[in-house]
Amino acid sequence: MDIRAQVSMVFHLDKCIGCHTCSIACKNIWTDRKGTEYMWWNNVETKPGTGYPTTWEDQEKYKGGWVKDGDKLRLRLQGRTEGLGNIFFNPNLPTIDDYYEPWTYQYDELFNAPEGDDQPTARPISLITGKPMDIEAGPNWDDDLGGSPIYASNDVNLEKLTDHEREQLNEVERLVFFYLPRICNHCLNPSCVGACPSGAIYKRGEDGIVLISQEKCRAWRMCVSGCPYKKTYYNWSTGKSEKCILCYPRLETGQAPACFHSCVGRIRYLGLLLYDADRIQETALADEANLVQAQRDIIQDPFDPLIIAAAQANGITTQQISAAQNSPTYKFVKKWGTALPLHPEFRTLPQLFYVPPMLPVLGKMKDGIYDSSAVEGMGQMLNSLEKARIPVRYMASLFSAGNEEIIKEVYRKNIAVRLYKRAQRVKDITAEEVQQALAIGKTTPEECEAIFNLTSLPTMEERFVIPAMAREEAIEQSLDPYTHKPAAGFGYREAPARRF
Amino acid sequence: MTGDQSSGYCSRPWSARIPFGRVSLAYFLAAAAFALIQVSATAAARADDGSTIFATKCAACHTIGKGKSVGPDLKGITTIQDPAWLAKWVAAPSALINSGDPTATKLVKQYPLQMPDLGLSSADVNAVLAYVAQQSGSVAKTAKGAVVPVAALPPGDAAVGREIFVGGVRLHNGGPACMACHSISGIGALGGGTLGPDLTDAYRKYGGTAGLESFLASVPTPTMSAVWTKNPLTPQEIANLAAFIKEGAVAERPLDAIGKLTLMGGLALIILILIAAVYWRRRLLGVRKPLVERANMLFYRKYARRS
Repeated sequence: MDIRAQVSMVFHLDKCIGCHTCSIACKNIWTDRKGTEYMWWNNVETKPGTGYPTTWEDQEKYKGGWVKDGDKLRLRLQGRTEGLGNIFFNPNLPTIDDYYEPWTYQYDELFNAPEGDDQPTARPISLITGKPMDIEAGPNWDDDLGGSPIYASNDVNLEKLTDHEREQLNEVERLVFFYLPRICNHCLNPSCVGACPSGAIYKRGEDGIVLISQEKCRAWRMCVSGCPYKKTYYNWSTGKSEKCILCYPRLETGQAPACFHSCVGRIRYLGLLLYDADRIQETALADEANLVQAQRDIIQDPFDPLIIAAAQANGITTQQISAAQNSPTYKFVKKWGTALPLHPEFRTLPQLFYVPPMLPVLGKMKDGIYDSSAVEGMGQMLNSLEKARIPVRYMASLFSAGNEEIIKEVYRKNIAVRLYKRAQRVKDITAEEVQQALAIGKTTPEECEAIFNLTSLPTMEERFVIPAMAREEAIEQSLDPYTHKPAAGFGYREAPARRF
Repeated sequence: MTGDQSSGYCSRPWSARIPFGRVSLAYFLAAAAFALIQVSATAAARADDGSTIFATKCAACHTIGKGKSVGPDLKGITTIQDPAWLAKWVAAPSALINSGDPTATKLVKQYPLQMPDLGLSSADVNAVLAYVAQQSGSVAKTAKGAVVPVAALPPGDAAVGREIFVGGVRLHNGGPACMACHSISGIGALGGGTLGPDLTDAYRKYGGTAGLESFLASVPTPTMSAVWTKNPLTPQEIANLAAFIKEGAVAERPLDAIGKLTLMGGLALIILILIAAVYWRRRLLGVRKPLVERANMLFYRKYARRS
């Protein structure tokens, strides 16, 4: 047993309103530099949609993640020999057009335009060429189903649906979408690390944050194609790759990452998980249907005295253990099992989990009027998952590697919580119906209250349980603080050499 | 620890070291025997009185009393020239020419083919000069200015010579084809190897058929002698090659051959670029643009037809 700590995340998609505040917060802090104009370490996608970069989920094209090959994992991208052959030309990169051509506007024209009959305009200027450009696409070009026939209908996850289900998604009365905010998953088995020929990418020992060393990076860009979530980006100005750092300077000072802190819908949760590093390979090798359960199993109980002793033996501090005990992510992922990893079939063991959105069941139109009688009795919600606006199969393609049973269990539990609270507040549901819902959802009134509280009424301290990072002790894992006291105080302050 | 290790080494049983002693002794004996054989061989060569050296190194270009060949007749040379100068010249002609010696410069102007460095030791030089002096006394001089071929070779066939040059015909003693290292006009636009010089001009440079034949018989340059002393050419092969080289004797390679070569190179390059362009045609094709184009095409197909 090799117990380690991992900062993990849960995004509650039911609460996301798609306002992109997280993206802007991140952009303003980290990627407003030269060479990073096109990067969005945090981005919000509309589903169904193709996302950013376009169809990033299509690994036939981008070759990200791991493939199970017998009893071994191998990179989908390439083996060693192939990697050597492709080292000077990586054929599996997204083009800048697949991200988008970043632009700004010529704002000074608004102020300096001569007086005339027309309003002055600010023309869009490409941040790549510096010349006026026609905007053809942006990082959220398919937002709110914009350009559906082009983008939404090319969503990779729709391939699993039947033609009938796909057609239904395009019917005006059934049109439906939800938002999917994405940041780096800080995976337990990161394929960007596996793909890097320079050994520049590493997973921090004390909290599992995945970082790219700006000194060791040699711009091979294998991480860009190796990451199935396309969350490493190449900075053309410094000639180095960059990625989400989970705002570790903020975490180390007890603050939530910028995208978490600024979230308007308060959808984001952050907390520590304890996991058994000896079981990473076994977990990543699980059969597709069992991948989600295997990911739950690798997470260890932070209240178990055996686990606590093993964690302490590995140098995990008491503060970290108590943070793991209070972790909201532990509750969502392991205790309640309502948060699921995004595309577990990439086998990177992502540590960002999503509570799937509870979309309304379909109402019916009768003589041009919304017919509420068709949804009479909320109890129907439990049994009508097959009639959900977005097919369960679509959700299974996103969050459970195709295992529909897991998705159904999550929905049944969340519906049970909703019915339980509705019976309390609105009082239009009978006690028998609630009891039935609790039984089907495999939950209890106490659990329903706890889920409700953490979903709807959490305080900031409940949403973000950030352990004291104890950097003064964490440094001991790599350096002896006494011998390196004068050498490593503020790190290395040399600027990266600019190529352009 | 170190003390322990060294004492452990010393206390090794004697029998374990014996093989080492035996092996090194055997090496020593073998080396000594080899050195002895070499010394006696050299002594034997000296005893030959320079005749062997003359036959292998000099006779290709020089006669003693039989008239001028590629190089001058050497009859009486030891009495005409200063012996010290002669010794220097035979040992290393290039050094003497480079030093600007007037006699050497005159010789270079007078004879088409510059005498190569033969790599003879001073003992060899003395032996061969002694042989020349001895032979000069016993042979009657022929009429002044008479030019004699070195040896009567059979008449050469240029067509066969070409085959030998390009490797179409195997050499009798197994040497490599000339084309491996040399190029010449008349073997196609691509030419041959570039390790050795282009032989297009060789006929003039080496003083005609006689010069070529004597060169090929003795192969005096260090690079070539390394190959050809083991696998000498037969007289018939020499004659055929000389005939072929004579046939191709022009001052420069014809311009159209060079043009043809450039054209072929350019064509090959274009073909390679085309293959690469076809093979990697999807190289820079993004994802989004084809997506949009496909959707637009479907849209127009669906609605433009109706209206």
